[in-house]
Amino acid sequence: MFELLGITPQALFGQLLLGLINGSFYAMLSLGLAIIFGLLNIINFTHGAQYMLGAFVTWALLHYFGLSYWWALPLAPLIVGASGIVIEKLFISRLYHLDHLYGLLLTFGLALIIQGVLRNNFGISGLPYSIPPQLSGGQNLGFMFLPNYRAWIILVSVIVCFGTWFVIEKTRLGAYLRAATENPTLTGAFGLNVPLMITLTYGFGVALAALAGVLAAPIYSLNPNMGAELIIVVFAVVVIGGMGSILGAIVTGFGLGLVEGLTRVFYPEGSAVVIFVIMAIVLLIKPAGLFGRTA
Amino acid sequence: MNKTGFVLAALAASLMSTAVYADDINIKIGVLNDRSGLYADLSGEGSVIAARMAVEDFGAAEKGINVEIVSADHQNRPDVASTVARQWYDEEDVDVIVDVPTSSAALAVNELSAERGKVFLVSGAATSDLTGPACNATTIHWTYDTWALANGTGSAMVEQGGDTWFFLTADYAFGHALERDTSAVVEAAGGEVVGTVRHPFPGQDFSSFLLQAQASGASVIGLANAGGDTTNSIMQAAEFGITQAGQALAGLLVFITDVNALGLETAQGLVLTESFYWDLNEGTREWSERFAEELGTGNMPTMVQAGVYSSVLHYLKAVEETGSKDAEEVVAAMKEMPTDDPLFGPGEVRQDGRKIHDLYLFRVKTPEESEGPWDYYETLSTIPAAQAFRPMEDGNCPLVQ
Amino acid sequence: MAEAALKVQGTDVATPLLKVSNLEGWYGESHVLHGIDFEVRPGEVVTLLGRNGAGKTTTMKALMGILTKRKGSVVFDGHETIGLPARAIAKLGMGYVPEERGIFSSLSVEENLMLPPRVKPGGLSLDQIFELFPNIKERLSSQGTKLSGGEQQMLAIGRILRTGANLLLLDEPTEGLAPVIVQQIGATIARLKAEGFTIVLVEQNFHFASSVADRHYVVEQGKVIDTIQNAELEANIDKLHAYLGV
Repeated sequence: MFELLGITPQALFGQLLLGLINGSFYAMLSLGLAIIFGLLNIINFTHGAQYMLGAFVTWALLHYFGLSYWWALPLAPLIVGASGIVIEKLFISRLYHLDHLYGLLLTFGLALIIQGVLRNNFGISGLPYSIPPQLSGGQNLGFMFLPNYRAWIILVSVIVCFGTWFVIEKTRLGAYLRAATENPTLTGAFGLNVPLMITLTYGFGVALAALAGVLAAPIYSLNPNMGAELIIVVFAVVVIGGMGSILGAIVTGFGLGLVEGLTRVFYPEGSAVVIFVIMAIVLLIKPAGLFGRTA
Repeated sequence: MNKTGFVLAALAASLMSTAVYADDINIKIGVLNDRSGLYADLSGEGSVIAARMAVEDFGAAEKGINVEIVSADHQNRPDVASTVARQWYDEEDVDVIVDVPTSSAALAVNELSAERGKVFLVSGAATSDLTGPACNATTIHWTYDTWALANGTGSAMVEQGGDTWFFLTADYAFGHALERDTSAVVEAAGGEVVGTVRHPFPGQDFSSFLLQAQASGASVIGLANAGGDTTNSIMQAAEFGITQAGQALAGLLVFITDVNALGLETAQGLVLTESFYWDLNEGTREWSERFAEELGTGNMPTMVQAGVYSSVLHYLKAVEETGSKDAEEVVAAMKEMPTDDPLFGPGEVRQDGRKIHDLYLFRVKTPEESEGPWDYYETLSTIPAAQAFRPMEDGNCPLVQ
Repeated sequence: MAEAALKVQGTDVATPLLKVSNLEGWYGESHVLHGIDFEVRPGEVVTLLGRNGAGKTTTMKALMGILTKRKGSVVFDGHETIGLPARAIAKLGMGYVPEERGIFSSLSVEENLMLPPRVKPGGLSLDQIFELFPNIKERLSSQGTKLSGGEQQMLAIGRILRTGANLLLLDEPTEGLAPVIVQQIGATIARLKAEGFTIVLVEQNFHFASSVADRHYVVEQGKVIDTIQNAELEANIDKLHAYLGV
């Protein structure tokens, strides 16, 4: 059967694995977007820029302070997450009583500003960043050569996605978040500090984007536009999964990575649009998304 | 400006000009390129600076030629490029558009320049169609093209024994042209193309395509893409152990800014073709240092930016020579006069609009060989101007048939 | 509960736990409360009676701080609360059971029960709550909104009792419930009163109200227009019918 499709099973496994790696990025980024959308009701267009900032901070930590990848792994998400908290406090929090469109315009504008400033200072060709020595090299799996670093990406992504899902669905803190997402007014009337939860949630969502950025720094061209190119796909992932659905974002992220990987083999020209085609179909058949709760 | 002010200024200007020269010429140059996307570093603001340096070095003002330079971002999109070009030609009296990277955008501007009878000096774009089927009497293709790159890098790789090729091609006009021209060179040299994969432009993850290339067993993986697509491909080929396993990468269009982004650790050993390198000789060094100071980002000039300088300089010489800014007259003079400047050395503009000069085959130095920032290339060989570009009769350019 | 009871005894009965004076409130531009006045002394149960749209629920929201555009004075337990956000008012010990119960569908019964944080010592323990509402104990892992209406109401009351709040705002706790459940809720309220809780109740069903309350305030067009002691209810029944339009 595989031969009929013009590809060996070995090559197919290889491509599926690669799809899973890309899916890791989609899942982490769409997870952050979904959490933010759930609680803030804001489509965070700055997400791509914050992913890119994660990568830039990783580079800057090494370049200016000599701090290695292993320092950047916790520090970059903390730094970028903190900047997200400042942004939420200064700007986004003023827009909650207005139409969603204002939040979208604000975050989109912020993304353009962040990208523009970095482009002015660092150009567009990209900055060099190497894979940490502990993760260089790779394993020969028989059907493909899997670089250790790519395996690391899958590992981190699965842990982070599962951990986030667990905290939100299974813990007291998560119950607070779900309550605040469902009915912020009543949650506040019980004495819970909803504005603080919103601020921290935004910070966390942003930190997730930054963490994806740290993971991307050694393998993708590290330039100010790196997020802008990726984020459009991630938005499609969120729409397909269902706005605000945690599990939907994770499963769809990995799943679409696989679909895209297969398209790259069988119809490479279509790999840039396959996700959008799926999005259109899903929107026609199930407008709330695959995992969306219909209100 | 209010009406009175305008009249006064015009009067003053005419008085001044009559005082110095009887027939001042006002030239408006439009630098149209990528100012924010993946080609912004290799063209962008640097090309505007190069054009300005050409005007200053030429001493245009003293020679009675008043030059104004405008610039715009075409975002690598043909529709945006042709909208801006139309606006410039029709409403802002722009006489000449220069640079225009991204082949699809350049082809759009080329068509419009032919319609409007305006001069178009291409430096950034690569497709050899600009002096082939799409050639135009007032378009000159200055710096390099896909045929020249294919010929330079392609035949060098085949000579080294890389006789089976697999292409990773950016899925738009430029990638297609580069793939086509390189395939022709490879096949003419006795090599074979065993496969091709066309990737979306711009892309980010190339590992899937690289694995397909690996599975093909080809001895050379030809990267018929540019900018970030090329750097990503090269980085990921190293990561997936493809180069270590013995397949060679041929970066068919690699700019020095790409090498800088990759770092020598990753880029070392890469063989590439360019028409300019800042550290070629005294002339290029002197100019490049002035350029770098003006630009202020620490980047050295790319061949595209050098080409903008060289083309604007030659254009102004022709304007001075003819005392006119009529497009056909000026371009005819440009083709008649031999070119010579410190950056590209002696050369000429052919009847099909192809500017020819020497090309260089470079090898990227190892980190140990490099003696400082931007010391990246070792010259392997010089391809003489006469052999560097596609012979005029092979191009199917209607102007010369 | 001992503490709450002690407190009731120790407080000067003349000092209201809640004193509302000239409370005005707005939904956006529309002025809905035009000067509400009433007071509740510790350990009392009072009701707000009135027709639909009279402003009873809005009054509750204004007390709780959910209706943010408000002025006048609401003194609760010695604190002026007009300028405070809802979460700060909740922490002073005001517990809210909203209209239609406000059970979270994305939370399990247990999570719903554990959601409101403790604000004061002296809240009921889980065992005490399960003793009051045995049904809840069996359904802890169900989704909150899978419970029946009556069970949801019990959950909504139960989760507030956990927090140690000493003033309970119950907005139409009997709405849409079967008579037998209404009876059960009535008994619960009586028991809470006996244990020292202070309760403000919004009701349409004044038969129910009369069975549990000390005093009734009649609300009309955003104002309290009359006060009827429960003992005088019989004598005023015609007047009340006229107010409520029954």
